Amino acid sequence: MDPIKGVLAEELVNSKRMLKRHGEALSRLPKGSLVAKKIKRGVFHYLAAREDGKVRFHYKGKLSSAEVERYQEAKQLRRKYMSQISKLKKQVKFLERALHERKRKRAR
Amino acid sequence: MKENESAPVDLCLEVLRRLDRAGVLEELVLVGSWCTHFYNRHFEGKARLSALRTRDIDFLVRRPPRFKVKVEVSDLLKDLGFLPDLRAEGYVSLSHPDLIIDFLIAERGKGSETTIPIEALGIRAQPLRFLDFLTSDTIVVSIDGLDLQLPHPANFALHKLIVSTRRPKPEKREKDLRQALEIIDVLKDLGRGDEVLSKFTDMPAGWRKIAIKVLNDADRNDISRFLQ
Repeated sequence: MDPIKGVLAEELVNSKRMLKRHGEALSRLPKGSLVAKKIKRGVFHYLAAREDGKVRFHYKGKLSSAEVERYQEAKQLRRKYMSQISKLKKQVKFLERALHERKRKRAR
Repeated sequence: MKENESAPVDLCLEVLRRLDRAGVLEELVLVGSWCTHFYNRHFEGKARLSALRTRDIDFLVRRPPRFKVKVEVSDLLKDLGFLPDLRAEGYVSLSHPDLIIDFLIAERGKGSETTIPIEALGIRAQPLRFLDFLTSDTIVVSIDGLDLQLPHPANFALHKLIVSTRRPKPEKREKDLRQALEIIDVLKDLGRGDEVLSKFTDMPAGWRKIAIKVLNDADRNDISRFLQ
């Protein structure tokens, strides 16, 4: 295998490993958006998430500003990981095609 | 796949900026294939080194580590999308689709340690052989107001010659060899061959023997003759 193919093969292994890790990290983050509702004098929080095609609200009660920040940070990370997973999937597809180009040509 | 080709370089610079702001960059030496990208700046456009490299960017921690501050590197880079990734060897990489950050440290003694904790950075570094040679002489390259430490190109090239013999995969061996020869050729073309010769002479006899054998096997007797 020449060095260019070697680099591509190594990157394919890297992309597949990262895809797995990012998927695991994404599954550990809470799903949904935090919604604040003002009821009388109190502010109560609900976690809105889509389940079976429907948006459901899970009551979280009164949350401290640190907890609210944690949910917001998780939401941002979730968005970032989803975009990275999409990028990694494209990388895997591209690298697999690049590495198997000769095989496909031979098969034709 | 439509890719922004400068994305890994931009991300790399942002990582360097953050490490610099946190006060730890001055204690790190950039090693590995990414050096060739920054050597182009060191050579001031008089040479153009091959861009063939993987996403791995390796930072070498000097031994013993002498960090003046304590920084959790994974927290520092978390919002950029870097994810700690525990590798089978026991060390932790920071992974991003455009860049994989590894921390290395020189292996000493019998080499029985699988990882070495670097408390100042909150990471575990991977010990590897021959890395002291890379830190024995370093250069500083300035990029966007940052001072980045790199091994002297001659040390980098000679180190690549030595480690190429320890690579189990032939394609990696070939990549190391190509990078080493490319840099030696550039240094000679720029009239800096004496720097290669001086670093070569400083190497232990066993290493010199290995380097000469690698050069002869690669039909580069011109370089091996120059070094002897």
